Formats: sequence, C-alpha cells, structure tokens
Amino acid sequence: MAADSGLGDEGPPHGRAPPEHTPAAFSIRLVSFPHLRPAEVPNCGPTWESIRLSEILLLPAASPKSRWPQAEGYKFRAGPAEVEFKLNKETPSFPGRLLQHDLERNYSSRQGDHINLVSSSMPSFPILQRSSEEKILYSDRLTLERQKLTVCPIIDGEEHLRLLNFQHNFITRIQNISNLQRLIFLDLYDNQIEEISGLSTLRSLRVLLLGKNRIKKISNLENLKSLDVLDLHGNQITKIENVNHLCDLRVLNLARNLLSHVDNLNGLDSLTELNLRHNQITFVRDVDNLPCLQRLFLSFNNISTFESVCCLADSTSLSDITFDGNPIAQESWYKHTILQNMMQLRQLDMKRITEEERRMASVVAKKEEEKKRESHKQSLLKEKKRLIINNVARKWDLQQHRITNIATNQDGKDSDSQDHCQNDGSTISAFPEETGSLDSGLTSALQGLSVTDTHLVEVDGDTLSLYGSGALECLDRNWSVQTAGMVTTVSFTFIEFDEIVQVLPKLKIKFPNSLHLKFKETNLVMLQQFNALAELRRVDQLTVDPQGNPVVNFTLWKYYVLFRLSHFNMQKINGTEVTQNDMIMAERLFGILAHVASSELPQYHLISILGDARKKQFRYLLETKGKKPGIVNEENNDSKRLVGESTNRATLNYTTRDFYNEKLEEIKEKKKFCKMYIEDLVKEATEINMKNEALQKLWPQMFIELVRDAVMEIRNKNSYMKLCLQQITDQK
Amino acid sequence: MLSPERLALPDYEYLAQRHVLTYMEDAVCQLLENKEDISQYGIARFFTEYFNSVCQGTHILFREFSFIQATPHNRASFLRAFWRCFRTVGKNGDLLTMREYHCLLQLLCPDFPLELTQKAARIVLMDDAMDCLMSFSDFLFAFQIQFYYSEFLESVAAIYQDLLSGKNPNTVIVPTSSSGQHRQRPTLGEASMLEGVEASLFYQCLENLCDRHKYSCPPPALVKEVLSNVQRLTFYGFLVALSKHHGINQALGALPDKGDLMHDPALDEELERL
Repeated sequence: MAADSGLGDEGPPHGRAPPEHTPAAFSIRLVSFPHLRPAEVPNCGPTWESIRLSEILLLPAASPKSRWPQAEGYKFRAGPAEVEFKLNKETPSFPGRLLQHDLERNYSSRQGDHINLVSSSMPSFPILQRSSEEKILYSDRLTLERQKLTVCPIIDGEEHLRLLNFQHNFITRIQNISNLQRLIFLDLYDNQIEEISGLSTLRSLRVLLLGKNRIKKISNLENLKSLDVLDLHGNQITKIENVNHLCDLRVLNLARNLLSHVDNLNGLDSLTELNLRHNQITFVRDVDNLPCLQRLFLSFNNISTFESVCCLADSTSLSDITFDGNPIAQESWYKHTILQNMMQLRQLDMKRITEEERRMASVVAKKEEEKKRESHKQSLLKEKKRLIINNVARKWDLQQHRITNIATNQDGKDSDSQDHCQNDGSTISAFPEETGSLDSGLTSALQGLSVTDTHLVEVDGDTLSLYGSGALECLDRNWSVQTAGMVTTVSFTFIEFDEIVQVLPKLKIKFPNSLHLKFKETNLVMLQQFNALAELRRVDQLTVDPQGNPVVNFTLWKYYVLFRLSHFNMQKINGTEVTQNDMIMAERLFGILAHVASSELPQYHLISILGDARKKQFRYLLETKGKKPGIVNEENNDSKRLVGESTNRATLNYTTRDFYNEKLEEIKEKKKFCKMYIEDLVKEATEINMKNEALQKLWPQMFIELVRDAVMEIRNKNSYMKLCLQQITDQK
Repeated sequence: MLSPERLALPDYEYLAQRHVLTYMEDAVCQLLENKEDISQYGIARFFTEYFNSVCQGTHILFREFSFIQATPHNRASFLRAFWRCFRTVGKNGDLLTMREYHCLLQLLCPDFPLELTQKAARIVLMDDAMDCLMSFSDFLFAFQIQFYYSEFLESVAAIYQDLLSGKNPNTVIVPTSSSGQHRQRPTLGEASMLEGVEASLFYQCLENLCDRHKYSCPPPALVKEVLSNVQRLTFYGFLVALSKHHGINQALGALPDKGDLMHDPALDEELERL
C-alpha cells in the first residue's frame, strides 16, 4: 500500500496553526480522521488487529534546508495483522507535521462529540468524562489535543481505550493512564514531559509518540514489549539505552536529540527503520546487529570518516541510507567509498543508486587503493632515505669531530633499526617486501638505488645525489646510457671534497651531461680546491651550500671561481646569475695571478706542474712557436684552443693534502741525495780552492827556487854544455 | 765583487752566508725531478733558467713552504710575489679575514702554515678577535715582519716575557731580604700596570740579541729609532711599530712604500691586456 520510505523529519509542530481557542468550557471535539471512509473508521471491538488507523501524514522538516521529498508514510505491524497508515499524498501548503486531525476541516463534520472535563475531588487532576454517545461511537479513541492540559487527567470508565492523543499540551508527567491497559496508541507529541514514566501497565502499547518533549533519558519501557513504533524525536536524549528488549520495534525515531554516538542497539530484532537525523553523532556501532534494518537516516550529524560507520558495511539488510549534512558528504571520496563498501545499498541520500554509479565507484575505489599503496611505498622509501641520510650525517659529524662519541649506545640502536633495511650494495632497488607485492613498474620518478646504511645514491630524473663517501663507488658501476645521459645535476653531501676530486675524471666520463654541481657538507675550505674543478668538461652552475663549506664565508670566493673556471662560462653560482660585471671583477682581482703563474714561471716548472697530458700539448706549443702561423690542421687548432684557454690558469692546480704530503715524502730521498752530491762537489771545490790558494802562497817561493836553480846551472858555460850533451846521449 | 771581506771568510762560511748551497741543492733536486723534460732542452738552459728565476724572485712560486722559508732571499721574493699577485685585491678595497688571507697565501704556497698567518693577524688586530677584517696593506706589512723575521721575533717575545716578569737577562737579580717569590709578584703587577717594558732596557737586550745571533734581524740602528720614540711599549706595540716603519721596509727591499703599494705600472699594463 504505502510505499516504503523514510520518516520525514519530525521537528516541526504537529499540526496546523492552533485553531481558535475554545473557551474554557473544556468542550473538545473529538477529532476523527477525516480522510477515512466511514467504513474504515476503526471499530471498537475485540479484534484490534482489524483496526485501521488513519493516515498520518508526515511532512519533511520545516527548515528550508531540507530537501527531502515528502515522506510517504510508513508501514508497521501491530500484532499478527498489518496495520497500515495510509498516506495522504497531498503536498501540504503549510509546514510541519500535519496530522490528519484536521481540526478546522473536520470540525464541522464531526460535531457532537462532547467531552466534559470536570474538576475532581483531587484538585490537581481533572477527571475526564465523555458523553455516553461518544463513548459508544468512539469507544476506543480519545483525543485531548490542545487542551492546555498541564497534567494528564484521570480518565474514568474508558478501559477499552486503544488510542489516546494528548498532542500539543503542557503535560509534564505521564500519569493516570495506568488503568488503560488496552492502550495501543499513545500520542504525547509536543508536551513538556521530562521523563518517561507511568507506562509500566500498558503492556499492549504498540505506538508511543513522545516527540517534542523534554525527555533526557530513555527509560521505563521495560514492559512495553509489543512496542512497534517509538518516536522520541525532538527531545534531549543523549544515549541510546534500555531499548534492547523491544524485539518487536520496527520504527525508532531519535531525530533531533543530543546523541553523540550510536550503539547499544542489540536486541532490536525487528527494527526496520532508524531515524537519527539532526543529532551530533560521530560514530555508529552495533548496526550490524540489527537483522532487519532497511532504512537508516543519519542526515545532519557529525560523521566525518567512513571508519566511524564501518559497521554498516557488515549489515546485509540495509538498503537505504542518508548521510547528507555530515562532513563526510563533502569529501571527494564519499560517494564511491560508501557504494564500494555497502554493496547492498539501493538508495543513498534518497536517490536511487544506478549501475553506472556502482561501476564508477568500484573503479575509483580501485584507483584510490592503488594510490594509497603507491604513496605508502613512497613514504616508506622516503623514510628509509631519511634514516640513511641521518646516519650518514652523524658519521660525517663524527668524522669532523663535531660531536663526541658519547652516543655510541644510540648508534647501536640505530644500526639495529636499520639492519632490516640494509642491503648488499650490489642489488638495485632493494627494499624489503613489507607491503606485500612490490610494483615492478615504479611509475614515480624516484628510483632508490644501492642502499646501505653508510651511504646513499639516488637518481631522481635529472639529479644524481650522493650521500656519504661510500657513494662515490657508484661511479664505477655500469650506468645505462639513458639514465646517465639524463643526469644534469650532481649533488654531493657529506663527502670530503678531496675524495670527490679523485673521482672527477670518472664523473666526466660516466655522466657527460652533468652541468650543475652541488656541494653540501663537503669541507670546502680553500679557494685552491676549486682549481680541481677545472678538469671537468663543462660546468654551467655551481652551488656551494654554506653548511659545511667554510669557503663560502670568504668575500672573494665567487670571483675566484669565476676567474679560475672562466673557460666554463658559468651561468649561475649559488642560484644567482653571473653578470658581466662579476666576470670583469674576477679578472681584475686575479688576472695578475694568472699572468704571474704562467709567464713568470720558469719553463721547467711550468711543465712539471701541468702534468703529462698538458706536457705534450705544451711541448707542441713550444715547438710550434717558431713555425709559420699558416699551418692549420685540426689537431693544431684543438690543442691550441685547449691550451690557449687554460694555459693562463692551468698552473693553478689543486692537489689534495694527502697527495701533496706524499709527494713531499718522495722528494725527501732525492733531496738527501742532492745534498750529499752537492756536498761532495763543494768538498771537491774547496779542496781545489785550498790547493789553489796554497799554490798561490807557495808559488813565489817555488818560482825563486826554480830561477835560482836554473841560474846556478848555467853559471859555468863549459860544464853546462857538457852536461846538456851528456843528457842528450843518455836519453838515447 | 772581489772585496777583501769576501775573501776573508772561509769557504763554507761564505757559502752558507750566501745560501749558495741551498740553491745548488734545490737546483739539482729539481733537475732530478724533471729529468725527462729537462733533458729535452738541455741542462745548461735549465740552470740558466733556474738561477735567473732565483734572481727575479719567481723561483718560490708554488713551491713548498720549507723551501720558501729556507733563505731570506726566498722569503723576500715570496713577499714580493704575494704583493704583486694580490695587489688588485687590496686596490679593490676589500677587507678580508685572516682565514681568507691565509687562503690567498695558500694559492701561492699550498702548505703554508696557519700559525704564521695567525701571528701576523695578531699584530694587526692587537687583540684576540681573530675574525676581524683587515685591510690589505695592514696585513701585508705585518705579515712581512712576521714572516721575514720570524725567528727574531720569537726571541724577542721570549725576552719580552722575561722583562715583563722582572727578569732582566742582562743584569743579575739580587735577592732581597724577603723571599724571592714574594718579590716577583709585585713586580709583575707593576709591569702590567705600567704596560709593557721600558724601551731603553728592551733595546739593550735586543742589541745583544742581534749581535749574538746570525739570522736576519732588522738593522739595529732602525730598531733603536723605533724604540727611541716611546718610554714604554708592549710586545705587539713594538711589532706594529716595526711593521709600519718605512726604513725597515726599505731595508728589507721586498715591498714598496706604503703609499706606492697599489701602484705597479708594469702589471697594470698586463692587466689591461687581459
């Protein structure tokens, strides 16, 4: 009959604007149910099951925000038979709940019912009496709507009463109805009741309407085991309790209360519809324990995550659910998450779910899943990297004696925690399979490569990042031409510059397109060290991070770089463009140094500094100096160019401290030899000198003796002649 | 050339005084180092070039510190080279820290020790703020004194400390009635209150020093000049005075006068050409 649909919101007042208030004669018209055909007017009689109550038109909420279509009424079962509320599909022209107790419309047609309220002996409780006519006509129903009652009157002699209507009064306590033990329908909508009480004898009660009161707590419903409809909307209830025994309850309306969460619903084995609109609910539980629940209205609450209502996924009976007005409905993933998790749903937010939507939902959900997995992997990767970099940093600091070794315990702990992410350095992309399958096709640009806990090598598109001195070994590895060709930036961190210098030739070969070099924490302390970069093919950009590179504190460092590496035509240093002025300044400051270093050095020194490769070029240059300038062949040009552009500064080299000391050590031997050799020479020379001097001294004397001897010989001419002749004959 | 004094010295002493042997040894060493290259264009040519460069003062470029320090001529040549190469930095007006100057020194001599630069900086800065900026000329002149006369300065420092603590190396200390130790403290206090030592006393000690020791020291006459202007002076005050004294600079002969420090027409021309 009536279509299944949700209850509209019960906020607004029950009926029309109150009719003209009848004078205090307490004459009440029993308003009947105007749209019922006479035949349908409930009979009194023993078989309650055949009663058909009239339509109760339930309208959407008064608030303009509501966008629900008109509720169409609901079905509920009272006892074995069905009692139906027929619906009036008329759209009301006035807001609010319009009970078909339409006073004005039907007033005239049902004249004649008189009820008298006379004051009783007990001053507080009026006694209700009806004319016997009415009693017979409407023996099972009694309406005391809008009677300005502040208390429940004592109803005498109406033990057959089945329906009792106290709407729109000021009743504060439910009283004096304990004798109406046949009561099935009790309506106390819009009163001032603060506590559910006085119902313990109404064991037949099926419908209890307590909307728009001041009830703070659900209680005292223990005996109402037949309850079919319980309406507690518009109260101040904060907690669902004491309803677990209501196993016949089919409709529970707790809209517009102060509920902050939903649980404690077990036992409601017949519950089909649960209205929780306009509360402050943040999470929902126990709903999967409701085997018959088909409709659940959670509009205008405070649900923001699916996890807070995840029990709904386990409910097989749910077909209709609303979440509008909750924060969750604003989320981008709202619809498809709900659809994906609640496959049994047929309507969401009062709209039918189409196949298309379902399909979309599953597609989107899959994508989300993928993304989540992906980002999880990414964050794992990042975390690992971060740990490794931290480790490298600490080792670096230790090395630099910046921190003492006190934290050895910590070191131990860290290395433990990183053991599980340690790999043998030879494998590429090696992270333990923590999150299940590892996507072989990593779509991200990040590719973590060889990883140990002492260094990290990372290629990220166009940047090669090396952390820790062990990372330099990666230059020995075979790199695919594609990967290596893409790398334009090489970043060094936590590596001694002196060590970097030694691998620069390899860098030149393996990564020919690297144009931008970045140094951080590399211990650049001297301007000289920049000389080492001259051997690279080309550097467009240089970034030297002040952290760990004291050289940046020098005023002149940039100019020196520009000067020494002028043949690179650098574009940027530390992010700032290099201007023409900078170049000029650099030349001005250091030009003389270059001049001195090249032209004033003696040739042999020049050559010895320049090293083997240059030696040949230089020698070539020396030789070709005399030749005609007309000779042009490629070799000539090349070498000239190469030599020409850097000869000027080529002598400004950098040898690492260790190398330098090694060389000096080597030379020591030679020096010793030289010293000895020279000493020998000097000894010889001084000996000769001494002899010379001695000769000088002795010579005059010797000369005189020579002359004297000669003169003495020749004194006697004759004997001298004889002597000479004899000498000649002796000689023969 | 053939002065009688020269011939009066015995051979070894003569050679030592002129440091001839040092250069000979170094030349032969260089020859050994680069024999393949040098044999290309002849040993005679090599020796010519070598001694030419010694005369010109370019032999110390990019050499190790031990060689640069070996002879006064080397030291002077090094100072000159440093001045010529980095005069432009001074001309530009940049004020640099001690570390940066040290860096520049290292460009010419890779293993130049930091202590020397630090000591030179102390002369300029007079206090312990080692990160202060210094002008090129200040640093250069202070460095000159420190580097050229380093051994001399060490002895002077020792003498100064002695004088400061009341011990006069020249005179004999007569112990008075009270205990010696008790005596010393007041004199220390005295000395520090009056800042430095008495100039004339100081000069006497220095004179003795110059006579006693063979290594280079500033001409005693000039030292006397420096000390005659003041009554008392501190060690660093003395050094600053030395570094700023034109006469000593000229006696050294490595650097031009302060006023001409930035001028070097020859190299300026070269610079224009670049």
